[in-house]
Amino acid sequence: MIELEVRDVFKSFGGIQALNGVRFKIEGNELIGLIGPNGAGKTTLTNVLDGVYKPTGGQVWLNGERVDGLPPHEIARRGLGRTFQVTRAFRRMTVLENMYVPAMALHPAKRKRDFYDKAMEVLEFLTIEHLASDYARSLSGGQQKLLELGRLLMLDPDIIILDEPFAGVHPKLMETIYEYIEVVHGQSKAFIIISHDMESIFALSKRLLVLNFGELIADGNPEVVRQDPNVIEAYLGEEEEEEGTEIIAPPGVAGSEGNDA
Amino acid sequence: MKLRIDLRWIAAVVLVGLLVAAPLYLKDSPYQMAVVTGAFFYAILASSWTLLAGIAGQFSFAHMAFAGIGAYTTGLLARDLGATPLQGIIAGTLLAGVVGLIIGFLCLRLRAAYLALFTIAFSELLRIVLLTEFQFTEGSNGLQLSKLWAEITGTQEYYVMLVLLVGGMAFMYWLAGSRIGLFLRSMREDQEAASAMGVNVVLYKVLIFVITSLIAGLAGAVFYHQVGIVTPNTIEILQMSLVIAMAVIGGIESLLGAAIGAFLTRIGLELLREVTIFGVQIEFGAWRYAAFGLLLMFTLRFAQNGLIYPIIDRLFMKRAREETVAKRAQTTEGES
Repeated sequence: MIELEVRDVFKSFGGIQALNGVRFKIEGNELIGLIGPNGAGKTTLTNVLDGVYKPTGGQVWLNGERVDGLPPHEIARRGLGRTFQVTRAFRRMTVLENMYVPAMALHPAKRKRDFYDKAMEVLEFLTIEHLASDYARSLSGGQQKLLELGRLLMLDPDIIILDEPFAGVHPKLMETIYEYIEVVHGQSKAFIIISHDMESIFALSKRLLVLNFGELIADGNPEVVRQDPNVIEAYLGEEEEEEGTEIIAPPGVAGSEGNDA
Repeated sequence: MKLRIDLRWIAAVVLVGLLVAAPLYLKDSPYQMAVVTGAFFYAILASSWTLLAGIAGQFSFAHMAFAGIGAYTTGLLARDLGATPLQGIIAGTLLAGVVGLIIGFLCLRLRAAYLALFTIAFSELLRIVLLTEFQFTEGSNGLQLSKLWAEITGTQEYYVMLVLLVGGMAFMYWLAGSRIGLFLRSMREDQEAASAMGVNVVLYKVLIFVITSLIAGLAGAVFYHQVGIVTPNTIEILQMSLVIAMAVIGGIESLLGAAIGAFLTRIGLELLREVTIFGVQIEFGAWRYAAFGLLLMFTLRFAQNGLIYPIIDRLFMKRAREETVAKRAQTTEGES
């Protein structure tokens, strides 16, 4: 079973404490939302999980193996894949070559052609198969985002971290990304979705983690977390808290309408 | 069954065939033969630098320094220990590789301008050591190197360099087309993203420094045996800039583009020494480098992919890419 355990992780940059004793555990193919105000430590946590940063304290365990301190490629090979806040397709490589990179890194004995069918299947699912021989730089921003998601599937990780997958995307593309998450989640993959798009986070996730100033201030059912006073304070400040509001999600999201009046 | 031969192979065979046959035309002019042999040397350097900088994204200015290490090692071993040219060339190549390994490790955390500055500093440091330790290196007088073997002819020297060029290009093409090439390019595009996709960027960064240093070291050791002397000026920044400019003019992302760019530029620079227009002989002297500079500026401004690479891409690569996808799409349709 998929298992990711974050044990009291600390990360500081000089005098700034970016992560302060973060502790949680993922078991099975959970679908988790990770939210927090700007500067809360969401991306730092992702960078610690995928090996870009070595934590200054604490441990990270992935599928029964301690992985903190391992380089990113080793962690990727052990089953943790991620996207980046700003899309990072390999721009001067073709779409197909982008897809081959993780597959070839994971399977040293195989050849590119062994992955052609799978790559095309994934591209087809993401509706960009007709661009297979184009350079990634010629793709639109949204198509590059899809390519990044496709590349992740070639890595075939157990746990997928999506950093702001909905930022600046067209509604049509949003649907494709939703479908991607649903289908891939159905294939027994765990997700951690970082987003400021509360509507999507509440619609998708079954469990919500909230970071604020590097501390995990809430962890649980989204509906319960939504009403947590600490979370409301972190997001809206003390004044709103006094008014007793519980709107984390923007107007129009299930559960928030009743409080708008 | 219809036999289809890849157009790229035909072009490669024709090109190599022409180069093999060229001494028939050049044999009466030792000067022309030497110029073309020298152009091969620059083609090896420019293409191997392209592998390092254009394909792997490691913008190093130390490439000529590795050629210099190869040449000085073989020269010093011959003078002080009586080594044969072959022994010296092997030792020079290996030492260049070892220094490449060290530089690769030292540069692991350096990117873009910082890597360039680091390698400039290394290159200059080496040049100054060679210049000042004249009791050992002969300083600015230069270190004498024997010919590769007694009574070697210009034609033989031509073929030695051609073998190095064709062998080196074949090896580099194989490497660039392999999984290693795929990883190198992903590393060039985005080191962090490549790493997150399972690519061991530390390994490949060091590896490409070692491989290209070995190639430059080998080419330098062999070529300066042919020239007969190597001086600290060999590795000065101007020489390195010349190699980079040649690669840029040819096409920084293409091994063949860089090699052809270097070859034609080197020949062009020689042709420009003396030009006869309507019976008037003009000696360009140092001004030919001004023409070279203008060509470089033109390339950077109007043809950032170089002047040769877009032609190669249009003639061979683009069609091959599209054909591969179309052919495979047909196969998939047929199967389903």
